[in-house]
Amino acid sequence: MSALGHAAPGRIGLLREELAKLSAFLRRDLLIAWSYRLAFVSEWSGLALQAVMFYFVGRLVDPSVLPTYGGSQATYMEFVAVGIAMSAFVQLALSRVGTGLRAEQVQGTLESLLMTPTSPSTIQLGTVFYDLLYIPLRTAVFLVLTALAFGLHFDSGGFLPALTVLLAFIPFVWGLGVANAGFILTFRRGGGISGLVVTLLTLFSGAFFPLELLPQWGQHAARLNPIAIAIEGMREPLLGGSGWDGVAGELLVLVPLSALSLAIGLLAFRAALRREKRRGSLGLY
Amino acid sequence: MSFESAVAILGLQAPLEGLSVHAAEAIATPVGRDATPGAATPAIDARRVARSFGSRRALVEVSLAVAAGEIHALLGPNGAGKTTLLRVLGGLMAPDSGLVTVLGADATRSLRSHRARIGLVPSGDRSFYLRISGLENLVFFARLYGLRRRAATERANEVLAAVGLEAEARLPVGEFSHGMQKRLSVARALLTRPSVLLVDEATHDLDPHAARVVRELVREISAGGAAVVWATQRIDEIRGLAQNVTLLRAGEVRYTGSVVKFAARVRVTRHVLRLRSRAGSTAPSLFLLRQLLAPVATVEPAVDDPELFVVSVRDDCSLGDALAQLTGDGVDVLSCRELQSEIEEAFVQLTGDEPTG
Repeated sequence: MSALGHAAPGRIGLLREELAKLSAFLRRDLLIAWSYRLAFVSEWSGLALQAVMFYFVGRLVDPSVLPTYGGSQATYMEFVAVGIAMSAFVQLALSRVGTGLRAEQVQGTLESLLMTPTSPSTIQLGTVFYDLLYIPLRTAVFLVLTALAFGLHFDSGGFLPALTVLLAFIPFVWGLGVANAGFILTFRRGGGISGLVVTLLTLFSGAFFPLELLPQWGQHAARLNPIAIAIEGMREPLLGGSGWDGVAGELLVLVPLSALSLAIGLLAFRAALRREKRRGSLGLY
Repeated sequence: MSFESAVAILGLQAPLEGLSVHAAEAIATPVGRDATPGAATPAIDARRVARSFGSRRALVEVSLAVAAGEIHALLGPNGAGKTTLLRVLGGLMAPDSGLVTVLGADATRSLRSHRARIGLVPSGDRSFYLRISGLENLVFFARLYGLRRRAATERANEVLAAVGLEAEARLPVGEFSHGMQKRLSVARALLTRPSVLLVDEATHDLDPHAARVVRELVREISAGGAAVVWATQRIDEIRGLAQNVTLLRAGEVRYTGSVVKFAARVRVTRHVLRLRSRAGSTAPSLFLLRQLLAPVATVEPAVDDPELFVVSVRDDCSLGDALAQLTGDGVDVLSCRELQSEIEEAFVQLTGDEPTG
């Protein structure tokens, strides 16, 4: 048997071991999250209050300025609910992914994790695994509850295509978050720059207002913005009932962008980790 | 995505040929167990290790060899380079130059299969998740060592019992005392039955009882065949614990060898004597003592007790000469002890620092 033949089963075994460790991270973070029940309630209350605020803002907005989806006119609340959900998703995911390892560093647990026979990439993924499951779930629950509370009409046939767009978008945000984690690992503070990037991307995303209100150059820029692509990709099936046909174009763009973002993010993170080990400053915060 | 691609993305390394790749197997068969103290290949072998932080040299050509079953004390004042050396040995920090071999493998490559065999008891409290229980913390780390949930829980309960924390197992770690957290650190290191144990200031700030418990636990691990590096600045604890000692000062090795030889390097010349005049049953005057002992020693008063004096014997005389002089001239010697142990004296002579602890 070739050397490669020997190595392959070992690698598969290693991969299985690493994947099994993710459930340990998940259980740990569930227990920690449960210990902060008040924070959990506050977070959901804040999101609900934001939705109420946009409901009243929506009463000032002339629906004719809003784009149509599938030939029908959406209300502002229907329009913005998807935007709120997605921008909250991006902000929360970027923040949690970016600061997950930083939190380990500040708690003093990072070196203890690195002393275990666990791949740095598994550690990185493990620290955000709970959030990667919780935040999309939270986004979906928010949309359903908002629809019930404010009488919004979402096309039930659009949920699966919209969910697929969301899933295709997750690696993009994850990649940005991992790159941000590497940045924070290196410079100890990264909130400023990542916050600026997220604000810029959100501004040109059409989350809270139609992209047509932007100047011409802004509309062109928005066409390249993955957040705008993802939001439109969710509005089309949910508000216009476009089904899978309405999201095919968005998926074709999002999937390679997400793959690129994740690959660059992981490379940047590994480079940052190597640098910290070389410098011997992993334990510093 | 193929397994190969996923492996590449996750950054997994291929196993070394001939070495077990599964953590559980690694835990079950630590390589250091086979070695015996004094064996040809030490469990830890660091040669001419250098490490700088900017212009500050933290380690200068440091060499260290620790056999399986040996407790090797790493002694030195603050900033001597003890923690830096432990981090290099643990693969948490790359040296600028030098060779570091732990359990036969290059520590700078930080092989996953080897990390399962290396335990670390870090200094300080901050190495656990404070919101969850000690048991859940240990189960989490055990699972990162590759144990399945049930086995991880069983092992966590075993090691909690071993360190005497079974009653507090379900308390959040945030409610643990300093000593309990330190014992929990030792328990975590025990999870893997390590072949190499790196202990950083484990008894710093612990009360004497808690410190003794931690030392006993480490001694048991060593008796099981593990090579232990025990970094400390508490000189008093290395006697009876460590077989060998390496003394660091400003990143340089000032001494390496057996604790017995380390202590034998110096002759203790300063003693604290409790003295009383035989005639009046009162403390003799300093003036009188200096007159009596002038040919053999110098005398200084000790702090806060009129009967205590520090007697420094001259190089060409012995303590017996001084005692004979005193008792012959009507001064009773009620007690006599070394001002500092010979280990402390050696520390002072080699580093120029007064010891702590």
